[in-house]
Amino acid sequence: MQNNIMGLIFSENPEANLGDLTNKRALAAVPVGGRYRIIDFVLSNMVNSGIINVGITTTARTQSLTDHLGTGKDWDLDRKGNGLFLLPYYESDNVVGGIPNIFNAFGFLKRAKQDYVVVSDCNTVCNITYDDVMAFHMDNEADITLIYANVGKIAESELKRHIFLDVDDNNRITDMQIYPTIQKSESSYLHSFLIKKDLLLELVGDCMAHGKQSISMDMLLENVSRLKILGYKFEGYHKKIDSVRSYYLFNLDLLKKDVRDELFGTIDDNKIFTKVKDMIPTKYGRNSNVSNSFIADGCTIEGTVKNCIIFRGVTVGAGATVENAIIMQNSQILENCLVENAIFDKEVVLRKGKKLVGQETYPVMIGKRVIV
Amino acid sequence: MNSKECVAMILAGGQGSRLGALTTNVAKPAVPFGGKYRIIDFPLSNCSHSGIDTVGVLTQYQPLELNTYIGSGQPWDLDRRNGGVYVLPPYVSAEKGEWYKGTANAIYQNIGFISQFNPEYVVILSGDHIYKMDYAAMLKAHKKAGADATIAVIEVPWTEASRFGIMNTDENMNITEFEEKPEKPKSNLASMGVYVFSWGPLKKYLIADENDPNSSNDFGKNIIPQMLKDGLKLLAHRFDGYWKDVGTIQSLWEANMELLDEDPKFVLDSGSWKIYSKNPVLPPQYISETAKISNSYITEGCEICGEVEHSVISAGVTVEEGAIIRDSIIFGGVHIGSGAVVYKSVIGANTFVSPGAKIGCTDDDANSDYINEKICTDNITLLGSNIVIDEKIKIKSGSMVVKNVMNNAEKGEE
Repeated sequence: MQNNIMGLIFSENPEANLGDLTNKRALAAVPVGGRYRIIDFVLSNMVNSGIINVGITTTARTQSLTDHLGTGKDWDLDRKGNGLFLLPYYESDNVVGGIPNIFNAFGFLKRAKQDYVVVSDCNTVCNITYDDVMAFHMDNEADITLIYANVGKIAESELKRHIFLDVDDNNRITDMQIYPTIQKSESSYLHSFLIKKDLLLELVGDCMAHGKQSISMDMLLENVSRLKILGYKFEGYHKKIDSVRSYYLFNLDLLKKDVRDELFGTIDDNKIFTKVKDMIPTKYGRNSNVSNSFIADGCTIEGTVKNCIIFRGVTVGAGATVENAIIMQNSQILENCLVENAIFDKEVVLRKGKKLVGQETYPVMIGKRVIV
Repeated sequence: MNSKECVAMILAGGQGSRLGALTTNVAKPAVPFGGKYRIIDFPLSNCSHSGIDTVGVLTQYQPLELNTYIGSGQPWDLDRRNGGVYVLPPYVSAEKGEWYKGTANAIYQNIGFISQFNPEYVVILSGDHIYKMDYAAMLKAHKKAGADATIAVIEVPWTEASRFGIMNTDENMNITEFEEKPEKPKSNLASMGVYVFSWGPLKKYLIADENDPNSSNDFGKNIIPQMLKDGLKLLAHRFDGYWKDVGTIQSLWEANMELLDEDPKFVLDSGSWKIYSKNPVLPPQYISETAKISNSYITEGCEICGEVEHSVISAGVTVEEGAIIRDSIIFGGVHIGSGAVVYKSVIGANTFVSPGAKIGCTDDDANSDYINEKICTDNITLLGSNIVIDEKIKIKSGSMVVKNVMNNAEKGEE
């Protein structure tokens, strides 16, 4: 059902570093899970929640993203008046933090008919329905509702990836620790919040007037005592993709049935949409040997594939072995190759008999269109 | 409305009764093929690639699923502001209303639709065949020859020629005679059911045919013979690619199995001439540690934990651990329970085969109540859509099952 909420998604996140994967593409456009781009998850969540008006901030590296999103028809966002809006980026704006990004979107926000906005990063992957967040927000008469999850005790080296929230018994956020060195809370912010549009415009306008750029530091933390900022606890699977390591682990998480069933909404019908490529089914050859792998359509598998994520249109030749690897669209691993612990970007060609072995903790990465 | 040089009309109203349980609730063109397609995807994709952007789909028998499937025509790039795809069921007008009586009558009843576009040519297609064909090349030949009608023909084996509508031609491929299923064929050029007509003459003949009370209003039986008789210029256009009528369970099964050949006669994946289909929005397929797959096509959304050999598996199928599927076609959403065995079968969409069941087996104690020699030739077993086969039930090969088969008969729907 259509509702009174619009969406605003950041296609970049300065805190994320995916190395070569984001050399020439936005973070939002990084391929994941065999046939998706990172942004498909948050965008589909919005669509599944009845949000039909979504703005996406862009940067200079926007071509992959615009190719992927097109008119938005694959997300059913080719709408009259509403729909999908790629918000232009101005070189001169020096857009670093989230605040100037939202400020850039003022025109889009003001023109929209909806009164509420979900503002979200693109790189926290989960399957959430914002209608529930909206109901929570209204029931509790909140000014801002932040979505968080209990992440338990975190290793010290990982703390700098989290914004922790102090949430009291009434779900009120009383304090925030932004990328701390000591863990005081287990409630980690999932980089997505719901707010009344007018209040967002006011707060962002105020931040801009004071030269402040950070959403968490300047807009949220600054106002925890003045505004009613609540935390909505999300109980499901979630993963923040902000490093090559977390990217690799997220993909391998998809080999778990419970993660797949929840994330792809196969049970409750909250499906994840993506660009349709019209690939044929995947062909398994007479001597193929595939085990514990997640394989998209349009592949030809003649060899051995184990613990892998294989994107659309990939070839694995006879006698080749691919293990613990993520192989992106249209890459070709020819006869008798050996690949272990690797990430192949799109259209990589590994010639016959080549060997590429990375470490489990440090997968080897091969860039787009590289021929080895 | 802007005029179009060429409009295509797809005859998609046929029941396809020889497909048995597969066409109980859907028209033949909506029958699945090749893991992620339906038969109508082939003519629709051919139109799209041939640059024909105005397509009428004539429906009659069980049109609901077909209508839903075609939708706005977006998957085939046929959601156009000017033109696009139109579903055309029979309708009632001020004077009268009636079903489509025959192929020619179906087009006759849509003269109004076609005339809106003021076309020079009309392409008539059937929604029954698997093939990739450039209609633009055929139209070009039609124009070049200044023909009134051009009929696509394909060489068939002489032994089979008497099953087809056969075209006898002169050395310039002008059709001199048309024989419907001749006992002693003089040629092995069979009509593919693909016609290009110049609209002016066709319209005239459709009207004349409609006014003839003795006509069966059929292109093959009436329109083409009459045009020949009147000395119109009819051209045969030779097609030398793959073309298959999948009108029987056996031919449907064979056409799917041919995709798996070492050197397939029909290449689904041939570069730019993609066959488009409606996307079911499912994640990639998951192949577990216990799975064993050999020489098979498997589609997105599947969870395969059992053994699959020489089979074509559609989207969203679950094959539990220990199940074995061989030489079979499994349609979308089917569930094959653990330890179940499926041999040389066609299993309709969303059917549930419980653990330990055996489908298409030759065991002596197998249930032979459902043997259907007419539909299930060549010992192929057919299960309809949305049915349940209970645990450990054995279904004899050559059966057609359209209802639940339960161990406790009271639970069943029979």
